[in-house]
Amino acid sequence: MFKKAVTGALVGAGLLLTAATATANPYEEYAGTTLVVNFPAHPHYNAVMKVLPEFTKQTGIEVEVDMLPYLKMRERQTLELAQEEGAYDLIAYVVFSKADYVYADQLENLARFFMNPKLANPAYDAGDLIDGYVQNIGVAGGQKGYLPGPTGSLYGIPSGSETSVLIYRKDIFEKHGIDVPQNYDQLLDVACKIPELEPGMGGMASRAASGHQASHAFLLHLAPLGGRVFDDAWNPIINSEAGVAAANALKTIVDCGPEGSSSFGPSEAANAFATGKAAMFMDSIAFAPGFEDPSKSSVAGNVGYALHPEGVRRGSQTGGFGIAIPKNGANKEAAFLLMQWLTSKEGDKMVAMAGGNPSRFSTYADPEVQAKFPFAEAFGEALKYADPDWRPIIPPWGKINADIGTTMSKVLTEGLDPQEALDGVAERTRELMEAEGYYTWQ
Amino acid sequence: MAPAAIIMLIALFYPLVYMVYGSFRDWDPSQRLSETDFVGLANYVKLLSDEAFIESLTVTLTFAFVVVFFEMLIGVGLALLLDRNLRGMSLLRTLFILPMMIAPVVVGLMWRFMYHQTDGIFNRWLTDLGLDRVDWLGQHALTSVIIADIWQWTPFIFILSLAALQSLPRSALEAARIDGATGWQQIIHIKLPLMAPVLIVTMLLRLIDAFKVLEVILVMTEGGPGLSTEILALRIARTAQEFRELGEAAAMSNYLLLLLMVLTLAMFGFTRWQEARAQKLKMLQREEEG
Repeated sequence: MFKKAVTGALVGAGLLLTAATATANPYEEYAGTTLVVNFPAHPHYNAVMKVLPEFTKQTGIEVEVDMLPYLKMRERQTLELAQEEGAYDLIAYVVFSKADYVYADQLENLARFFMNPKLANPAYDAGDLIDGYVQNIGVAGGQKGYLPGPTGSLYGIPSGSETSVLIYRKDIFEKHGIDVPQNYDQLLDVACKIPELEPGMGGMASRAASGHQASHAFLLHLAPLGGRVFDDAWNPIINSEAGVAAANALKTIVDCGPEGSSSFGPSEAANAFATGKAAMFMDSIAFAPGFEDPSKSSVAGNVGYALHPEGVRRGSQTGGFGIAIPKNGANKEAAFLLMQWLTSKEGDKMVAMAGGNPSRFSTYADPEVQAKFPFAEAFGEALKYADPDWRPIIPPWGKINADIGTTMSKVLTEGLDPQEALDGVAERTRELMEAEGYYTWQ
Repeated sequence: MAPAAIIMLIALFYPLVYMVYGSFRDWDPSQRLSETDFVGLANYVKLLSDEAFIESLTVTLTFAFVVVFFEMLIGVGLALLLDRNLRGMSLLRTLFILPMMIAPVVVGLMWRFMYHQTDGIFNRWLTDLGLDRVDWLGQHALTSVIIADIWQWTPFIFILSLAALQSLPRSALEAARIDGATGWQQIIHIKLPLMAPVLIVTMLLRLIDAFKVLEVILVMTEGGPGLSTEILALRIARTAQEFRELGEAAAMSNYLLLLLMVLTLAMFGFTRWQEARAQKLKMLQREEEG
């Protein structure tokens, strides 16, 4: 009897002890695990690389990173995810890959990890994550399949997400007494006024190269001007009035832009701004740190940041990367711990301080981050208008995107009429959507 | 014989058969080939009415024939000019073949910078001369990539033509000289006909290569603006990666393969015909003499 009580007490004490160590270090069970992760070569992930040693120090989990150029990543991941046993425990994916991976049932639904009390950190505060990003990058299965909604669920968490802002030359604007454009009329007006006021300088530098870049540039204007690629029944409405307005806006911007604009990719466009060949640049926030770096930019210190101008509504880009756990990964729990750590308040701030793009409102509001990065405050504001339905993230998107891109390029360089061009895109898109079964229920 | 044949079968035909098989299926890269649906000739039929594919095919044909034409012209011309014992010839020859030894991606980047609208060397020259700048990679993209390709691959034709020239039977040339043939007559009636077999094979090799060119154009223009420089190889790569239609990409590759096979057969047919004609001429000559 006594013996039993003692054993009971001992067992109880032992349990208490384990419980105590468990709360002290939830990572203990996974210490010594080596995670293999796939990240893109991108400024945000360079920052992530800098904080990973801290993760290993805190948790004992080793991380091995396979870094690839971001456009190559999808190809590699497509191969890996289709294997019986994949090489990656955690992947960073480009936002439009979400549709492909989720549709092919290759990503873990994150619910079971967040439900697991041993894994989920109660202090995570998911409400602080930037909502537009989570919806755009992480959630699938809701409205239209790719948007959030009552039937949606979470497959990834934003890390290195981006939105669009208007970046401009404070000195030039001041010199000529130009106000920062608040809406599209003002924007286009200023874009074409600059070359007159400052000979040799373009109004706005924009991407415009054939294919993905031209499509991206067009979509940048489509959402704020009130357009969409599809209506709620998957009918292409890209050739609506708003679509034509967006195409004309892009054409005006390119025509009044720095010389050679029509073949610019994002880096050429950013470079034109950084070398003083353009007074404005409207693109992803990811370019901002480069403009503030005097070794890469001759305009550092003279750069201002404003919200993406309003058309009939506010709707800035949502893009960039998220992180997800492949279904065929070997160490899913440990991968979740890394994912959670990287996107926690602490991790997110560390990544931001190392030069990455925050995923949390609190990071943007953090005084230390704001002190280090002059644009943080403006970006935090811009993120409130990040539009998750900025582009449709559906499996056939790759084709539609390419079609928009080549057609837009023809509008820009060959003088094709925007209405006619977009009618063509709409017609081909309808055929494609028909073949893909999007009209089955009509 | 048997082991060699087996290795040939596996190494050569397995991938080919795999591609042909894949071209009959609706194949998403997330699927394994066994999970895909058989669609018969649908991919092939679809391509025939696909404007982008037709445009890409036209671009490819234009590109290939134009570059090969100019490369042959310049390459053979240079070889004829330089077929003599100049001092430092071996150094010159090495310099000449440098372009084709540079990695294509580097060639693409180099030309892209040279064509740059404001900072490129061509437009800077033009501005210095007081002329208008040319929008090389915008309005004249196809011409620009053609020039780059000619720069890179003329040396290949040059070096092979030179080798062919230098191995020509000296007796025929000497006989012509003694008979009083001018330089032009020697070239037209002796050198070129004797070089023909080599030239035809060279041209064929260049054509096949030109049909498959990818990296230089990918780096320089990515196929743009519009589809104006989207050669077939690039279209195939995009179809597989961006559009995720492996079946269609395979069908496209097969069209390209068919095209190249037709070309090859035509070339071989031509050499056969030429040989037969030469034989016939010889026979006739002998009959006349006899």
